[in-house]
Amino acid sequence: MRKGLKIAAIVAAVAGLSTLGLAAETVKVGFIYVGPIGDYGWSHAHNVAREICEEHFPWLETVYVESVPEGEVETYIDQLVRQGCDIVFTTSFGFMDGTYAAALRYPEVVLAHCSGFMRAPNLATYMADFYQVYYLNGLMAGALTKTGKVAYVGAFPIPEVKRHLNAFAIGVREVNPQAEVHVRWIYEWFNPAAAKEAAEALVAEGCDVFAFTEDSPTVVQVAAEHGLPSFGHYSPMYDFAPDYVVSGQLVHWEAIYLDFLQKVHDGIYTNENLEHVDYWWLLSQKAVEVGAKPGMMINPVFEDDLKAYSVDHPVFGKISAYDLVMTRYNQMADPGVTFDPFHGPIYDRKGILRVPEGMWMSVDALITLEWAVEGVVGPWPGEP
Amino acid sequence: MGWEEWLISTIGRALAYGTPLLWGTLGEVYAERSGVVNLGVEGMMAIGAFSAFAVAQSTGNPGLGILVAAAAGGGAALIHAFLTVTLRANQYVSGLALTMFGLGLSGLLGRGWEGIPLKHPLSPVTVPGLAEIPVLGPMLFQNQSIITYLGLVLAVVLWVLLYRTRWGITLRSVGESPATADALGVNVYLVRYLAVILGGILAGVAGGYLSVEYRPAWTEGMTGGMGWIVIALTIFVAWDPVQAIGGAVLFGALYHLSYRLQPWVAPELLKLMPYAAAIIVLTFVGLGGAQRRRGAPGALGVPYARGEK
Repeated sequence: MRKGLKIAAIVAAVAGLSTLGLAAETVKVGFIYVGPIGDYGWSHAHNVAREICEEHFPWLETVYVESVPEGEVETYIDQLVRQGCDIVFTTSFGFMDGTYAAALRYPEVVLAHCSGFMRAPNLATYMADFYQVYYLNGLMAGALTKTGKVAYVGAFPIPEVKRHLNAFAIGVREVNPQAEVHVRWIYEWFNPAAAKEAAEALVAEGCDVFAFTEDSPTVVQVAAEHGLPSFGHYSPMYDFAPDYVVSGQLVHWEAIYLDFLQKVHDGIYTNENLEHVDYWWLLSQKAVEVGAKPGMMINPVFEDDLKAYSVDHPVFGKISAYDLVMTRYNQMADPGVTFDPFHGPIYDRKGILRVPEGMWMSVDALITLEWAVEGVVGPWPGEP
Repeated sequence: MGWEEWLISTIGRALAYGTPLLWGTLGEVYAERSGVVNLGVEGMMAIGAFSAFAVAQSTGNPGLGILVAAAAGGGAALIHAFLTVTLRANQYVSGLALTMFGLGLSGLLGRGWEGIPLKHPLSPVTVPGLAEIPVLGPMLFQNQSIITYLGLVLAVVLWVLLYRTRWGITLRSVGESPATADALGVNVYLVRYLAVILGGILAGVAGGYLSVEYRPAWTEGMTGGMGWIVIALTIFVAWDPVQAIGGAVLFGALYHLSYRLQPWVAPELLKLMPYAAAIIVLTFVGLGGAQRRRGAPGALGVPYARGEK
């Protein structure tokens, strides 16, 4: 009897090792999404990446749960662990506390939390961030506006969205120093009706180029109805308005997932060494892409306008908006990144110097950014 | 930008956003007038939105999409009618279940339809001649939906039916006192079935409008809580089809202004205005005695069983 138990324990230990991918036959991975995978935004993009991973690794098995309320993430982690998951990804900022608590309770499970900052020996963090892409979109928007008013429909006034909005506005002002970026907040990540009415309000205010953070193609469609250009967000939105989508922000979560899963499989990452594993992946790691759809950085419809728009640039002298976009893109997409949109001097719209001459912002400063740059017009809750 | 521009854009947008609210409310008014509360509006709208999009996309005919949405909404309401009228289940529980069912089913069937633009959306119409009238023209007759106009006409028709015809008296009597109506030879079950199904049909159209015209695409959960506003509006407008026009336009205007006025007024305050208005009205309705005057059907929410007291 005793012996039987011992053997069982050994079998369990071996099984435990194999579940960590060391003796690797299959690795089972669970994904927890905050929204429905049909949102065509955030959760959809994570799910597309999950499918790519499953396709790519023969040893990988995945499961997912969708529309998980942020406060209930722990229950769902319990469920996935009981189902035998070796790795669990939780993909919303609001899952952070629950994921951290679960990481302490399941020291043998590898966890990774998207967009947060709490880590543990078995809990990594990761994020594919858009701020460089928004900046490049801003360069294009500044060149295309005729009224000098560019629109931005924002989801929530939180650091992530503020960072993107600021980067966008920095781009706009770099090519068009007089232009303004008009903002409306909808206080939802996904709400087509709210996005529609916010966009209509900005149309009524005289804005003629549109960017946004909301998980549906609504703003693109509203702009097109008024014959105005826009920038897609998150998923390829070119098809929704082929004549009006200039470019946009595209994500490739699979870049991070493939790298992470490979490293766990190879034993480089284990449940004991993730304390400092934080993916903050940008253009140069190809986790994000500039484009109206994959492979189309700038819609050909707008190429001539951008080439014809001349900028008197402090660094490059006379340069077309098109060439400026390409130059900046190369500077940021190159593995040895030589440019960042948030380079000093940057003043906020109250005139306070936020980034000194010659300095770049740290990642920590970027993810806690609350101020608004010059040129942003409209409400800014939490403005310091 | 003068006051005309503000008026034009506010009323224009109020009508566009108010249209699904109007259709949904008209349907709920009729269902509740027969004595049946249907909290499944959100679910029926979601089913309508998905089926309209799927049909319009497959056939290239948005009008057909709206018709199918109406049928699908009616079908969903039939479930509620069966549960609450025939089986006498709790109306609130059944309605909530219908909402969850509708959202879930449309999400499930909608897999693979998201992220595709509708090829032939329902185009807005501009009424020739009338659109030329200063202020009033651009406000009411430029780039409005045919469904908006149909909804306005329908509201008047339903009002006349309810208050000026025998049918209307029959419907109202069933909602006020089903036992009395029954004693007078009215088929209470049939009337309730028809009213609930009509409610579903109109909610289906409301959903269809969202996916083939207002925002021509399908996304899971795109009804975004409008069904719940409809429930509040039904009480807000005192179960009156013509008042429903005013209620829907008011809510539409507040919704639009909550974005328009953001630079000057706290967005949180603006966002809660429609709900605050609903709560205030509900409070007054709830204060005893007011219920009669506000016109709440006497037997609202009570299942009817023949021969029981």
